[in-house]
This record gives sequence, structure tokens and C-alpha cells, in this order.
Amino acid sequence: MKQEIAKNVILNIDPINKFRTIKIQIDFLRPLDKEETTTRRLLANVLSNSTKSYPSFRSLNDREMELYGSEINVYTRNLLNLNDLAFSIEFADPKFLLDGDDLLKDNIDLLSKIIFDPNLKNDHEFSDDSFDTEKRNLMSNLASVDDNQDLVSMLKLSSLIHHDNPDKQIPIFGDMVHLNSLTNQDLYEHYKKAIKEDTIIINVVGDVDEKMFLKIMDNSFMSTFLKRDRCNSKVTFDSFENLIDHPLTQSEHKHLNQSRLALAYVTEKIDPSFSYLAPQAMNLILGGDDQSKLFLQVREKNSLAYSVSSTYHPISHLMTIQAGLDAKSVDQAMDLINKQIDAVQKGQFTQSQIEHAKKVLSTRRKISSDSIQYYIMHNIWEDVYPKSLLDDEHYQAELDKLDKDHIIKVAQGIHDIAQYRLIGD
Amino acid sequence: MAEKLQKFSKKLKNGYQIEVVNLPGYNQTYGVAMTNFGSVDVLLPNQKQLPSGIAHFIEHKLFAKPGYDVSEKFAEYGANSNAYTSYTKTAYLFQTLINPYDNLKVLLDLVQHPNFTEENVASERGIIDQEIQMYLDMPEWVLEQRILNQLYPGDPIAKDIAGSSASLQEINYKNLLATYQNNYRPSNMDLVIVGDVDTDKIESIVSDSEFSTSGGVPAVEIKDFEPIGKGGSEKMEISQGRSSFGIRVDTDLSGADLVKLQFELNMIMETLVGESSINYQELTNQKIIDDSFSYNVVAENDYCFIIISGSTNYPEKFQQYLQKHLSYEQLDKVFDDQRFERIKRDAIGAYLFAQNSPDAIANQMAELYFYNVNYLELIHLIDSISREDVLKVAEESLKEDNYTYYNLLPDRT
Repeated sequence: MKQEIAKNVILNIDPINKFRTIKIQIDFLRPLDKEETTTRRLLANVLSNSTKSYPSFRSLNDREMELYGSEINVYTRNLLNLNDLAFSIEFADPKFLLDGDDLLKDNIDLLSKIIFDPNLKNDHEFSDDSFDTEKRNLMSNLASVDDNQDLVSMLKLSSLIHHDNPDKQIPIFGDMVHLNSLTNQDLYEHYKKAIKEDTIIINVVGDVDEKMFLKIMDNSFMSTFLKRDRCNSKVTFDSFENLIDHPLTQSEHKHLNQSRLALAYVTEKIDPSFSYLAPQAMNLILGGDDQSKLFLQVREKNSLAYSVSSTYHPISHLMTIQAGLDAKSVDQAMDLINKQIDAVQKGQFTQSQIEHAKKVLSTRRKISSDSIQYYIMHNIWEDVYPKSLLDDEHYQAELDKLDKDHIIKVAQGIHDIAQYRLIGD
Repeated sequence: MAEKLQKFSKKLKNGYQIEVVNLPGYNQTYGVAMTNFGSVDVLLPNQKQLPSGIAHFIEHKLFAKPGYDVSEKFAEYGANSNAYTSYTKTAYLFQTLINPYDNLKVLLDLVQHPNFTEENVASERGIIDQEIQMYLDMPEWVLEQRILNQLYPGDPIAKDIAGSSASLQEINYKNLLATYQNNYRPSNMDLVIVGDVDTDKIESIVSDSEFSTSGGVPAVEIKDFEPIGKGGSEKMEISQGRSSFGIRVDTDLSGADLVKLQFELNMIMETLVGESSINYQELTNQKIIDDSFSYNVVAENDYCFIIISGSTNYPEKFQQYLQKHLSYEQLDKVFDDQRFERIKRDAIGAYLFAQNSPDAIANQMAELYFYNVNYLELIHLIDSISREDVLKVAEESLKEDNYTYYNLLPDRT
């Protein structure tokens, strides 16, 4: 069931009975703004720290345990040009419990309190305890990022790719500079704004009765907030034209055991007569799994890396390659990577590799639907950018249409736009 | 309505244990072959020690067959495949939408037919060495090894599962084959398939398969552990300091009793240092920990320990606080019926959450087989634990003599 319960507030209910849990997720969306990115991440953490009726992290956790370990998750993430502040609660389907307690109402109530009934100190600030604790936690988490070299290299690459987009220069989890200056009052002001204006998408997945859910939601604390009209969050897309002509490179040295390569490419807009899946097939042949050219050449044949792979991002048309290797092998690996790209561009791959890529695409799509999160993400994309989705029939048609020429043409149209090298020495 | 899970389970004449679980509504079939052999199993009956990382090396190199790699075969039949080595187990797995029976045959080929050669072993060294280097850059991983070396000084569990650059040089096709032959045999394995499959067909395929080795369960060499280390610290080039507090629980328990002990220790830790504990709140208020603070309980044959760790700017206070507050007396004060009920519910919920995932079901079921526990009955095992059971375990295990620590300090020079 999909229903617009107010302007820019969409409710999706998928009453699916194959899972052992039920999940409710509420996403608040607004355009990314570098001044708000850190604020929204801290807000996520402060709201999940405590509520008015569960005024400490401890009491909130006790409540989750009473409900058979309900899992509350509040976080922010990028969704194209949007900042998505997502709240979710997942809980055991009571049918599978020994005493079968009904948990739906209690979990809706708890999620509702997390979002709309926060732990406040006064009418313009959150409780000092939750604000101070979560600010300190986030500060510490940001400091730890430097110790995760794969993440560091991807963040640096992202910074190069988005060099002319200040809103994407700040990682989604925020930065120290903004966090240091953020006050409790600033945070509460953003909370009020987000709660009032953000586009909302609600998803419910699991074995729930739609009417029952609607009735409980209508009687819950969140009902009045969710029935107010809200702003539209329009999607926009990145352009990498400048980088095609002037690719960016950055190299840094650190005292590490292993070096990292993070490379970005963009594909050209594909001919409408080609299969929509050609770039994804090209990526699979190049570096998408353990049968790919990069895996077989860089890892298996030359023993240069343990991890080397490529990933394609269909909406942004970006392809990224990541590898972890010895500093002395970086140039050799770059040479091998370029040779594999060249080979795909020259059509040096077999029909059976194409068939394999088709099989993998189809398998991954169907296997992903074995998780609750698949349904939630599918609904979100349907609401935010429906063009990004294909139904099963169309997907199969695009797979059937895929041929070698499409893949070669897509490969010939890839452009190197950014390179980041983290050299361990 | 989704049904409660059912499983078919049988010990076959050739020694294989097979377990099949149907998961209605799911598209995939997931298979795992697990052997009761991991990175700690390096002591030979003649007391000689194998190079560390040998179990993991076997895991990598078993994929190589004469003229082909098993991952190609899986791919041909539409499956993706993987493998992992833990301290005590090695597992090989596939996930597929189609051809479950062909993929099962490939899985059996994978675990049954080694093809270690001088050349393929040499080329794998470079790959595994890169894996080792990758982990050496991860402070959490380094800290785990250091605290394990305090808990079990000099023991194989304190070594990287993948070994070291030096130990890789000692691994060759001969010792790989000898180690494989000693540990890979049907009686030392469990095979679990989760998916919409015909159990008769699974049984017939596994019954017809031929293992190149046979024999009973390999003899287990039990080594006496050295006394627990006094703790230590070292500097590393990291931005954020990290500390670990370790508790060793020496026990003679095995099988279902050991699994029960693991749940009881988890309940103790959840009460004393879990997110809803007074200590978590106090450590947070005193700015000693951040939200990376967590604990992990491991109860396996021969090894039973708890590691509590997290980022901290105050390693001494971190250790002193835990040393002082992890005690039977502290637990007894707060572990009332209401808290016990909450913690039990939380454990039951976690069990149900895992049942959403075919891989979690398959891997947990395979692991529990080696402890004579039926995964599907786990909810009753949890439910059978009493508050008194938990207090008794706490009284026996929460002793200062069992404690140790390790700190990784940021090198700011």
C-alpha cells in the first residue's frame, strides 16, 4: 500500500510474511547543505540517546530490551543531493516468541517518542546530558576516522570528485570544525525546522495488518506531526564535465603497512538503444567480482593485492576502483588496471563473461529481496527518483538486450576523473 | 503466515553430517561446509608446531584445482562463493538462486580434493601477505591480538589468523597437504543447506561423494595455558587511543553446557557493562569511554574469554574502573528479577533477528553442531537459564586473577 497522507508525506506498507521481524522506518529528507550536515548527524545521535519519558540512554535501552531487543537506529546518509535523516525500529514478530506478546503498538509508541518527544532541558535546548555526551562521542568517532585507511581513501576520493560542490565536501557524518562550534541551541533550532519542513517517507515492512497499523498510528503521538504538509525535496544530479577535461589527482604518504588506491571514472550517457544495464555489465567484467579482470590479473595472477575491485553507481554514472597493496607495487598495479580497462574497451572478453555478468546481475537483484532493507530502499527510490527503478519484466528485457557491442561502447566512453593514492611508508 | 523453522538432519554412512532448513518465501539457497579446524589448531600429536596461518592458507588454496579454480565452477552454476577461517573453524560457502544441487557438488569438490602445488602455494603467499598487511593497519585488530596474548600468552590464538609474513615462508605444499589430511574428513565436518531444496537429493549427492581422506574425528591436543599476562601498553601511529580489558574463564565444560555458559557470560556482561548498565552510564559520564565501547564473549572448546574494548583518552582510568566494578558483588546488587527478564528477552530477540538471514542460520547451525546443540532449539536453551545459574557463573569467573588488559596509545611524536 502506498498513500500520501499529507503533502510530501508518503506512507508505504509492505505486509510481507517471510521475515521474523517487523521494521518501521521514517526518513526525513532535505537538500544537503554543508552547514547542516554535522548538525543532522549530531541530531540523529542526540535523539537516539534518550526521550522525555526515557530520559537516559540507560532507561531507553532498558525499554528496548523489554520489547525483546527492539533495535533503534537513527543515522544520516546521502541520497543523491539529499540529506536523509532516517529513524527506524525493528522488532521481533510476536508470532515467533514463546509467549506471543503483541509488540506493534509499543514499538510504534517508542519510535514516536524518539522522533517527536525528545529529552529537553527547556523550550530551546536538549538535555545537557544527551547533548554533551553525544557531542563528545561524535568528536571521538570523527577522530577515529583517520585510523580507517579504506574509509580515508574513499573520503579523499569523494572530496576530489566533488571539488566544486561545497555541500558534498563535508562527509555525511560531519566534521570537527562544524562540530566544535555547534551549540545545543543551534541543534534544537535545526530539529524544529526538520520536524516541520522535511519531506517524510514512512515504510513498514513485515507481517502487519495494514488497517491495524493505520489505526495504531492514528492514535499515536506522531500522528499530528505526520499529517502536516511539508516541503518538496527535489533531486538534482552531479555533473563531472570539468573533471573529464581536467582530472584531479592527489597523493599522500602515511606510516602504514599497506598503500591504498582509490580511482574514479565517469561513464558517458549511453545511447538509448543500448541496454540500460550495459555499464553494470562492463563493471562486472572489469572488477565487479571474483571472476573479473582486475581480480584475476591484479590479485590472482600477479599476487599484488588481497583486495581489488570496482563498483558502479548507476545514478551518478560513476565507477570507482579500490585496491590495497604494497607501496612498491602501486605503479605496477596502476599499469595493470589501465591494461584491463583497455582490454574491455577493445572487446577482449568472451561471450561467456557476458553471460556471467548477466547471471550475476539477475542473481544479486533477486537475492537482495531476501532482506527487509531491500523493500524499504525500493520504496524510497520509488518516491524520490522512480526512474532509477525497473520492474522485473523491464529488467529482464534490458538483460536480454545486452550485447557485447553495448559493453565495448560504454567502456570506450569512460573517463578518468580522479585518483587518490595513499602511500604507506 | 511464516512457519517456525524446521530442519532435516542426518548423519550419513560416509561420516558426513547434513542439515537442511527450508526457509519459505526466500529466493536463495545458501550452503556451508564447515570443518572443526581453525587457526589455533597448530599443535601436532608429536608436540611439533605448525606454522601459524596454515588453516587460513588451506582455506585460500583449496579453491585451486587442476586446471580450474572452484570459484569459476560456482560462477558457472550461478553462485557466488566465499570462505573464512576463525580461531577454531574453517567454512566454505555458496549462495545461489539456481542449480542448488550442482553448486552443492562444487562445494563438495572444493572441500574434498586438495591440489596444493609448489607454484600455486608460492603465488598465494603474496596475496595473503597483503591481507596480513591490511589487518596490521587496523588498530582494533592489532589490539585484539595483543589482549589475546595477555589472556593466553604465547598461545596460537594470539597469532593473526592469517599468520605473519615470516610464518607464510614456512608454509609449503607438503605441510599444507599433511595438515589438510589430518583435519578435513567427513567426521570432522558439518554441511548445512538453507533453501527450498529436496532433502532426498541433498542426501543422495552427499552420500555419493568421495572424500580423499577418511577416519574418525582427529585427536585434539590440549596444551596447558601459561598464566595470564599482567597487561601492557604500546604506542601505535593512530589518532585515537584504544583499550581492552580481558577476562579468561578456564572451564572444563563442553557441548551444550559450554553454549549455555556463553549465554550466561553474555548476560553477566550485559548487566555489568552493557548499554543499559550503571557502569556504562558512569564510564560515559566520567568521559572515559565513547559509544565504540563494547564487549565480546567467546566460549569455544579450550578457549573461553571476554574482551571489553573501546576508544579512550584515559586508558588507566578505563582499566581501573573495570577492575574495580567487574565483580560478583556488583552483579548481585543490580541483577534483580526484572533486569534478568529484560536481558533474557533481549537474547531471545537477537535469536529471532538472526533468523531473517539464511547465512546467519546456516553458519550458526553449523557452528553449534560441533557443540551438540540444535540451533532451532536455542530459544529453549536461553529460556532454561535461571537467575541463579547466572550468579553462580559470575561467582566463579569474576575474579581479579582472571583479569588482564592492553592499551594502544597514540604515538604523537
